[in-house]
Amino acid sequence: MRARLRDIAWLLAGLFRRSRMERRLDDEMRFHLEMLAERHSRAGVPAGEARRRALAEFGGTDRFKEAARDEYRSRLVEELAQDIGYAARVLRHHPGFTIAAALTFALGIGASAAVFSVVNAVLLRSLPYADPGRLVVVWERHPGRNVERNVVAVPNFEAWRQRSGSFAGMAGAVPLPATVAIAPSPERVMGAEVSPGYFKLLGVTPALGREFTAEEESNGGENVVVLSDAFWRSHFGADPNVLGRTVPIDGRAHVIIGVMPATFDAPRFSWLSDQAFWRPFGPTENNRSWGRFLLVVARLNDQSTIEAARRDIAAIAEGLARETSANLGWSASVTTLESEITGEVRSPLLVLLGAVGLLLIMAIANVTNLTLALTRRRDHELAVRRAIGATSWRLARQLVTQSAVVGVLGGVVGATVAVASVQGLVALLPPEIPRVESIRVDGPVLVFMLIAVAGASVVVGLVSAARAMSVGAAVTLRERGGRSTRRLRGGALVTAEIALGLVLTVLAGLMVRTFVALRAVDVGFDTERVVVARVGLSGPRYSTPEARSTFFGDVLEQLRATPDVQAAGLISTRPFGGAGPATTVADANARAVGDSLVADVRFADGGAFQALRIPLLAGGVFDERDRPDASPRVVVNETLARTLWPGVNPIGRRLRMELFNGITPEVIGVAGDAHLRDVRTPPRATAYLADTRFPSEARDLIVRGRGDVAALVAAVRAAVIGLDPTIPVYQTETLASVVGRSLARDRFTTMLLSAFAAVALLLAGVGIYGVFAGDVAERRKEIGIRVALGAPGAGVVRLVLHRAAKRALTGVAVGTGGALLAARGLESMLFGVESADPASFIAVTMLLLFVAFVATLVPAVRASRVSPLVAIRTD
Amino acid sequence: MADRGDVLQGTLDMLVLKSLQLGPMHGWGITERLEVGSERVLHVGQGSLYPALYRLERQGYITSEWGLTENNRQARYYKLTSAGRKRLADERATWARMSRAVDLVLRMGEG
Repeated sequence: MRARLRDIAWLLAGLFRRSRMERRLDDEMRFHLEMLAERHSRAGVPAGEARRRALAEFGGTDRFKEAARDEYRSRLVEELAQDIGYAARVLRHHPGFTIAAALTFALGIGASAAVFSVVNAVLLRSLPYADPGRLVVVWERHPGRNVERNVVAVPNFEAWRQRSGSFAGMAGAVPLPATVAIAPSPERVMGAEVSPGYFKLLGVTPALGREFTAEEESNGGENVVVLSDAFWRSHFGADPNVLGRTVPIDGRAHVIIGVMPATFDAPRFSWLSDQAFWRPFGPTENNRSWGRFLLVVARLNDQSTIEAARRDIAAIAEGLARETSANLGWSASVTTLESEITGEVRSPLLVLLGAVGLLLIMAIANVTNLTLALTRRRDHELAVRRAIGATSWRLARQLVTQSAVVGVLGGVVGATVAVASVQGLVALLPPEIPRVESIRVDGPVLVFMLIAVAGASVVVGLVSAARAMSVGAAVTLRERGGRSTRRLRGGALVTAEIALGLVLTVLAGLMVRTFVALRAVDVGFDTERVVVARVGLSGPRYSTPEARSTFFGDVLEQLRATPDVQAAGLISTRPFGGAGPATTVADANARAVGDSLVADVRFADGGAFQALRIPLLAGGVFDERDRPDASPRVVVNETLARTLWPGVNPIGRRLRMELFNGITPEVIGVAGDAHLRDVRTPPRATAYLADTRFPSEARDLIVRGRGDVAALVAAVRAAVIGLDPTIPVYQTETLASVVGRSLARDRFTTMLLSAFAAVALLLAGVGIYGVFAGDVAERRKEIGIRVALGAPGAGVVRLVLHRAAKRALTGVAVGTGGALLAARGLESMLFGVESADPASFIAVTMLLLFVAFVATLVPAVRASRVSPLVAIRTD
Repeated sequence: MADRGDVLQGTLDMLVLKSLQLGPMHGWGITERLEVGSERVLHVGQGSLYPALYRLERQGYITSEWGLTENNRQARYYKLTSAGRKRLADERATWARMSRAVDLVLRMGEG
């Protein structure tokens, strides 16, 4: 270490003392020479001759002085400074090259850094919890129904917690949308019920107060609450004395016992979304019978691994399946919390990162080509410098330095591009992407850019250096002037550009087709001028089913009386609004229960079918007969009817549903299939039960109108508030935007890949143009001779195009192979199109060949106009 | 850049240090000392000598200053430092061990 420091000190001192050092060298050399000469003259050689001999013996003083200097201080630093100065001069003299190369670098580095910053924040950065690698989610699974990750029934959660030896802790969590009544107006807020120990499990402690104790789990959870930092700030003005105050949540006063720190980012996955508050969750007789609804988060203990935990939990589940009939066919599994939080977006983001990586490679290829062209123009200069003693190594270093300077220029511009485009990228991101708020250009992104700049510079520099070295000095000096080369320079580049461009464009093409196919899906309902809004009832006033039923009835009646409203109805979960309940169904009269069918269950009124324009294929819908005390009736969708009663009229038959401990409603209607989950999932068997028969406290109002959407929204609000101003109306939006948002991720991927493809085509075009422009320029003399000998212009054009065609076709072959592989990575995101879709491949190939054709045609036509005089002119 | 009669790779530093053990000397004098000392077997070219001198100086084994020769000429005189003396001792020990080892190997099977 001390030696190292001394070296550095010497180096620095040496740099400053340079002139003194040079003088010392000169003096010492002169002394040495004189002594040599003196020895010769002592031996009888005449003075002049003695000196000449001494010099000859000494060899080149300069060569030797350089070696000596080398030792005196590390020459590298000085030469680096020289090289940078030299590179700067070269770049100043070729501004066109500099700007083109730097911009190309900037594009490649900026775009990849922007995408990397998203990947880094969303996928790479570890979760903000203690030892996040040991956090897992435990699921029930039903292999028979192909359900891998199912929410959990309370008794099973309790059994796992009791019997398993794999976990340091296990907590249940369930979202709790609630009405929070803080003056001036009540609000609908998303919170969650969590088992005591949940925060400790994650390794986070409240900034104020404490988390729940085990006692607070009893009776289904005491009325205590922990607030999020954001909620504490917005509703309590960040009051440090907030502990002990109460908040009315769903009409019950809750005592505030804690506030989480601002840095706490609650896990959002499955149906857990944003959380503004938490209250304790505790098993009760009641919720033990609710079926499966709980999310279970656990921490592996130090002795366990995820595989061991999986075996452990599966063994317990096997026991449970034997003990309880409700668990028949059910097992359990364990996944990492990380994969749950980032899982859905992982593959699209990795595809985008890969795509932008290809773009970066294309940018590097283009800059390499530009640099080669520039080096070629400077062949003569390089040859002269070699002839007067510059070593290959030194020349190589200069070329690498030059490309590094270009790289740094490009990197700086690229960083600006990245910072600017990260903002745009975040705005474009689909809403469900986790950890969006932490996306920024930070340390790791800068490191990524540095590596990209360094890698790109070295590649570009080495390729051009390799070329410079392969050109013998003598050959180049001789070849000054006209030259005819048989081989196309940069041919490999043309092939690579075509291949990479093909891969990127195929990916984009497949996504575009996917997006078009998604847009073309008939979702089974009509989104035109429909507003949906959620209404949540709470408090003692609405504790009876009759009161809820009356309230919603009154709201709908008032809405239907509004002039511009064409239809109004309500449904338990709006289309694309989440999974909702599901249950096993069968024909009530069937003796043997075969493969049981699982149907989604929606609670709706007759108006909902009208407002959504879901067609009625047979029978009717609900009416005033479906009172809370009436026997239940059901409307089934086409899929359900076709599955249970193929070729039979289902009207009047009875459906057995496991829901509500088993009901057998009469089928009164068959509705058309509708995509209630999302666009991609085909319509599932669905049973609609009468909302008036099973009134609940939260429902989606669906209102179809004639006029302005804003007026419709206002009408909905007015209708609810006119009846009871304490009732919150929330999640108000048009149905069209609900559907649009569900395609946000596909839109994002499609847009980005299309943009990458456009840039790739541009880069390919420019790159190919560059190669052939250079080729034609180099062969001017040869072409001139051909023209002079009578070759027609068209012949010359064909000559150039022929050279291009060979390369382009090789590129297409390589690219098609690459694209087939790359598209397989995209498979999970495709819809309505095969990953090896021939139409896309053919169209993209034609497009690439067209780009290559245009990029070659310009230089080719220029070649055909070469004057035959060129042939006889000399430099 | 090979010099005729080049000294064994790696031994130049040791020889330079050794020659300076006899007293401070300039570059030319060092070459003479080595040539004479080796009965003209070893020839140290200035192409290796001066880089070696600068290297040793940088490493702190020798120091240098201007001085006058017997003929009243300005010359740069090099002098061993105590670190240089120690280095020389180390190198000699290593050299002795190595040359004995090489010698042993060469005499294998020759009784």
